[in-house]
Amino acid sequence: MAEQSLSGLTEQQAKEFHEQFKTTYTAFVGLAALAHLFVIAAKPWF
Amino acid sequence: MSDVKKPSNPEDDWKIWLVVNPATWLMPIFYALLVLAIAVHWVVFSVGLGWH
Repeated sequence: MAEQSLSGLTEQQAKEFHEQFKTTYTAFVGLAALAHLFVIAAKPWF
Repeated sequence: MSDVKKPSNPEDDWKIWLVVNPATWLMPIFYALLVLAIAVHWVVFSVGLGWH
């Protein structure tokens, strides 16, 4: 049996998934930043 | 244990998926994020900073 990772993913699968994870996470942070800008514009909390 | 090479991030970030299988853990991660977001909104509203 070849060297298997703890998760069972191969290096290539892990790298491929991580690329999508980074993209989705970047979009999430972008949306959250936008939402915070709207809140700051509407009602600054500091 | 001390001879384990230290990761250098963010280049080695992808290796987390060699330990954590997203087919199993991606949804639990999303639910934890949802719970965190609800908790933060709850606190913000409870300290009176919400729209009401």
